[in-house]
Amino acid sequence: MTEMTVHGRGGQGGVTLAKLIASAYFLRNKYVQAFGVYAAERSGAPVQAFIRIDDEEITNHNQVREPDHVIVLDRTLIGPRVVLGLRPDGWLVLNSPDPPEKFAELFPGRNVATVDATGIAVGNGLGTRTVPIVNTTMLGATAKVLGLELADVEGAMRLVGFGGPNVTSARQAFEAVATRKLPGKVERATPRAPAARTASILDEDLGGMPTIRTGNWATRHPARHQLTPPCNDGCPAGNDVRGFVQAVGRKELDEALQIILRTSPLPGVCGRVCPAPCMEACNRREHDEAVNVREIERYVADHARWPAVTKPTRAERIAVVGSGPAGLSAVYHLARLGYRVTLFELGKELGGVLRTGIPSYRLPRDVLDREISFIVRHGVEVRCGQTVDRQRLLDMTHEFAAVFVATGLQESRALKLGQGYSDMVSQGIDFLDRVRRGEENLTGQRVVVIGGGNTAMDAARSARRIGARSVQILYRRTRHEMPAIAEEIDEALEEGIELHELVAPLRMHEDALGPVLTCQRMRLGEPDASGRRSPVPIESEDAQFEVHCDRVILALGQTPDLSVFPEGSDVREGHALLGLTAAPVFAGGDFATNEGTVTAAIGSGRRAALHIHRTLTGEDLFPPAPPEVAGPERITTHVFAHAPRERGVIVPAAMRQNSFTEVRLGLIDEPGHSAAVVEAARCFSCGVCNECDRCLSYCPEGVMRFKGEGNYEFDYDYCKGCGLCATQCPRGVVYMAEL
Amino acid sequence: MTTSAYLREQRDLADGILRPGNTNCAGCGMSIGLQWLEQALENERPTLCIPACCGIVTAGSFPTSAYGVPTVATTFASSAAVATGVASVYAMNGEKDLTICWTGDGGTYDIGVATLSAAAERNEDLLYVCYDNEIYGNTGGQRSSATPRGVKTSTTPKGKAEPKKDMMAIMAAHRIPYAATLSVAHREDFLRKVRTARRTKGFRFLLMLSPCPTGWKSEPEDSVDLILTAVRCGLFPLYEVFEGRRYRINARPDGEPLESYISRQRRYRSELLDLDALRAGIEAQWAYLEAMERTFPAGEHE
Amino acid sequence: MARVLDTGNHFAGDVLALAGEANRGARGAICGAYPITPQTEIVEILRDFQFTKGRVVPVESEHSAMAVCIGGSLAGARSFTASSSNGLAYMVENIFAAAYYRLPIVLIGVNRTLGPPWNIWTDQGDTLMLRDAAWLQFYTESHQELVDTILVAFRVAEDRRVLLPALVAEDGFVVSHTQMVVDLPEQEQVDRYLPPCNVPHRLRGKGVTVGGMTFPHETEKHRWEIQQAMERVPEVLAEALDEFEKVFGRRPHGALSAEHTEDAEVILVACNTMARTLRRAVQRRRAEGQKVGMIKAKLFRPFPRKEFLRAIGPAKRVGVLDRNHSPGSGGIFWNEIAATLQGRSDVLLQDYLVGLGGGDVTPELIDEIFDDLAARNQAADPVWKEVPA
Repeated sequence: MTEMTVHGRGGQGGVTLAKLIASAYFLRNKYVQAFGVYAAERSGAPVQAFIRIDDEEITNHNQVREPDHVIVLDRTLIGPRVVLGLRPDGWLVLNSPDPPEKFAELFPGRNVATVDATGIAVGNGLGTRTVPIVNTTMLGATAKVLGLELADVEGAMRLVGFGGPNVTSARQAFEAVATRKLPGKVERATPRAPAARTASILDEDLGGMPTIRTGNWATRHPARHQLTPPCNDGCPAGNDVRGFVQAVGRKELDEALQIILRTSPLPGVCGRVCPAPCMEACNRREHDEAVNVREIERYVADHARWPAVTKPTRAERIAVVGSGPAGLSAVYHLARLGYRVTLFELGKELGGVLRTGIPSYRLPRDVLDREISFIVRHGVEVRCGQTVDRQRLLDMTHEFAAVFVATGLQESRALKLGQGYSDMVSQGIDFLDRVRRGEENLTGQRVVVIGGGNTAMDAARSARRIGARSVQILYRRTRHEMPAIAEEIDEALEEGIELHELVAPLRMHEDALGPVLTCQRMRLGEPDASGRRSPVPIESEDAQFEVHCDRVILALGQTPDLSVFPEGSDVREGHALLGLTAAPVFAGGDFATNEGTVTAAIGSGRRAALHIHRTLTGEDLFPPAPPEVAGPERITTHVFAHAPRERGVIVPAAMRQNSFTEVRLGLIDEPGHSAAVVEAARCFSCGVCNECDRCLSYCPEGVMRFKGEGNYEFDYDYCKGCGLCATQCPRGVVYMAEL
Repeated sequence: MTTSAYLREQRDLADGILRPGNTNCAGCGMSIGLQWLEQALENERPTLCIPACCGIVTAGSFPTSAYGVPTVATTFASSAAVATGVASVYAMNGEKDLTICWTGDGGTYDIGVATLSAAAERNEDLLYVCYDNEIYGNTGGQRSSATPRGVKTSTTPKGKAEPKKDMMAIMAAHRIPYAATLSVAHREDFLRKVRTARRTKGFRFLLMLSPCPTGWKSEPEDSVDLILTAVRCGLFPLYEVFEGRRYRINARPDGEPLESYISRQRRYRSELLDLDALRAGIEAQWAYLEAMERTFPAGEHE
Repeated sequence: MARVLDTGNHFAGDVLALAGEANRGARGAICGAYPITPQTEIVEILRDFQFTKGRVVPVESEHSAMAVCIGGSLAGARSFTASSSNGLAYMVENIFAAAYYRLPIVLIGVNRTLGPPWNIWTDQGDTLMLRDAAWLQFYTESHQELVDTILVAFRVAEDRRVLLPALVAEDGFVVSHTQMVVDLPEQEQVDRYLPPCNVPHRLRGKGVTVGGMTFPHETEKHRWEIQQAMERVPEVLAEALDEFEKVFGRRPHGALSAEHTEDAEVILVACNTMARTLRRAVQRRRAEGQKVGMIKAKLFRPFPRKEFLRAIGPAKRVGVLDRNHSPGSGGIFWNEIAATLQGRSDVLLQDYLVGLGGGDVTPELIDEIFDDLAARNQAADPVWKEVPA
């Protein structure tokens, strides 16, 4: 008589495997017996099945206690328990991707066979991920080990009624099974009789906790990780966007401001003029609309309590040249790190392009002044009206421990439109500065603005505000390719500004009615290096037309003036200029990167500060590489009700087009409704736990614990590994790890 | 918000209604239902009357108990009658303990339907919860009258030919104070309905569609999302019936295709699966419910 | 104590109500009630009774009637109900359950033939169907014995040493619907006689699953405990009768009643009202000098084997009157007595199947049986008295 025991889990088909093996021997004219142990355990619980094979009729109906061979269907069941009673020369057939040698320590001296039945079965689509059905696969492996033929396997399958992927799996396992007699001496252990306390129904102390530890049913365990929210990933300033938005959602405005101030000193500025790549990246776009991060940031800056400032604690002095956003950011972060900073600015006031290049109807001066003042209060020495040329820079390197240069883009791109029209052609950035100083008046004039960026929009809208009769914007691509913030374009159009797409200026001349700009109609060709489709002139008779105008404003972009650096300098961000100067010199902001946004400049300034700190002290304060970004596939969007975005209030076009007071009023609090809080509550908190408790709520076993501060604990003694905490986590924090 | 102070309380594992170490399958809908029952009732300690079904097998073996509250394993058809006895004696002794029948579809739709009907007709002060997994799960997956048309079970190998029995309509016809359907994908709705039932005197009937990964041949981790899909595609309407006459619908179909429910359960891979017939059934049911709600709406305070 | 003229069912209903009301100071009374001929009046009387703390639930079936009793008893109340025949058959699942839960429920079984074909008359086959249900079974011969035994049954069943349910049988129509005079106890006496019902394992808010799954070794222990409880019944019954005598001034029969058996050569055994007919026959033959005797069987479960062996005395011929039948075997009392008499080859035991389906068991029939038994030299198969040989 040959006896075998199958160890498996409820639902894996252990009893069926016993029947299949018995069937194979039945077809060889043996007497056979196959049966399982039936109790209350459910899918996933460890269960056993038994097989007997003999040449004579089998009369033993007891469970097998001393098997000749043992088959283990689930690798998590492989342990000392499975060899209890196993005869020393018997086979131990294991479902495991590991070779038999791997079990040398666990099963010394045993005959061990292994096969990756789970891999084979799942590959053939048998069962579910949680409970793969490996019985037919294990039949193939067992048959090989026991010296049966493939024909026996196929016959047993036919008899029990299996076909298709089951037969394929069995064949693959028959071929793949690895066998080995392991070194060492077999230690036999016999099963212990269960200690039985037989209670009476009338006993007083009935009803204790179940003794079953269902944790050993699990093939997977839940675990948690933190991912990078796409907004954070998308923020060039490196802001913890999710962090401050969530804080606003919790009505913790001061906390929100503290979070922003860790990375950016200009929230009121960014909350007004940032193109908000965080919103482009927002996973909520897939659901309804991106969270209105820009307005939330503005709300925080305008409503939270600004914290007290710190004063320098270090001896090292650092010079920063240029007080645009990159310079201000560097100053701020260096000051916060304890350095004594001196800020050099060419103009009379600090702010650089923030002050000269952005009209006050978009960025009111008091907001800018508030944030510059906050930065300067950190013990910063300010020197305005300072020209820094190459010699001055070299001198500075003797006076300061390090120098940071962020002088922005000083050279405007020009366009040749013909001789004699220089009076009526201006550069947009200069125009805006003159408007700011009250030196421009366009009453009754026809203005043409050339370009598609924010400067073009600002110039056009400013022209409107200082009396222009008409304002037309010419852009050689389409609106879709315009770099300007979409809302700015909308607002310009609302203010009566005309936009001509796919138009390029050619030249100026004059006719009886005054100056005329000849224009060329364009079409979009192949994408260029930037990925945008290049404009190509249309070749036809009527592809050119004329526009009468009194003033042309060019907004074609700017380039840096690198003459401040020694000849042969390699000017790029993150690269310290050494050797040519007495102290390290760094460059940043648009000057070095030409990224063209305030937020990028803030990030650049911060990195410069960290870089200087690392160079001077060796201490690396750069944040570690962020984890994987939580893309939309990680978000369980159905958990979130569709909710329209809360929008900031905008002054009507009729009321704003003659005024430089602020156009956008931001998110407004009304009794019982804080638009900012409501809007912040729309945030999914992608990839970062916000203690929503949904995992806790949906755990069918009630074995999760909230441990405070974003932590939850799983009780692996009991967790059955169903995976609901993972599928119900709205934000991709909980996941299932294979055991 | 899914959270509550109770949810975060560090309670002893032995104090839950359903204790860890129970033998329900991973991803069992009934387990979620029992957790939520507890979360809705918070610190109450109800008495459960559970007939033969997975719900009593999960209690584990004597003398331990996977239920942390007093629980009676009743005979298959008897839960509503045993509960009547229990609740009557609690009441005559001035005890406010809630008595709950926690039953499967076999004990509700089939063998226990006479007992249930009688207890409902007598308007016993009981909360009756049916966790309906549409199958005799405990015996290995045979058909019940709750099994939907087209589902393959071990006693309908080609798929069930008959549509599912409308138990809610039967209970509404008893004019009981409160009847409602429960979804394990809609926790706030679930908790609210249990609390409404708790507040209501007399016979309350709650019908929960209970995902059964083993019987439905679905992934345990899909259990909640399956029910969400069932609600969204209209297959399982969420609604309440007051006094058996006044209706309130809690969620309406949102165009989710029926296939996204069917395709994730191998029990629907049968010869007799007829999607058009299932869709027609869903439409007819919605036409009926909408008409009832329009004509006999629940009051605002209900 | 009042002398009252009424039917057996009315008395049964009255006494159940008295017993239930007597528990008003404890956890009250519960009854699931469902009517069936010939038990109907019991349900009607109970539904009409105004309990201080109690409820009679008008359920939809006997199955649920017992289920209500189970629930009520598990919640600690004194529980009782009544049924007959097919009603008992329908109740069977929960009858077994009540015993396995160890609940001291009292059930009045108004004996009626099991059908179909439908027959409403008395036959002990319905209650004897419950032979293996782990219930105490009392068979009563008269209205007075019915009244007294119901109270004794509560006292024994609820005793901590027993905690098993008890069935009290009365003959359908012959007792249930027949008017007779009875000394009916007063509430005050019943209050004194019955201690507050205490179900020690009742639901008390603890996390216990009553009736959940057990493994074989536990099941065996629980059955053994039931057997131990059954074996304590004679002792507890004797105490209950002593106390009954103190409170009510009379002593009902115990497990059995042996009459004129000290020197009897021939003994007949019978239960229920047949025992009364038999008694008259015995008394007449004794008057004629014949050495006959009788055993009136009252307690069927646990079967009082020792008392029985003692009771038969020197008799060498014992006949059993069975108004019931176990097909393929014979009378059920006869089976029981045969098992009791194992090793007693000196005793000739003969079974007589009489009055099946409610046939009238007359003094003449009993005379015939006495003559038949006296003439026998060896036992034969059970004799069917109404079937022509």
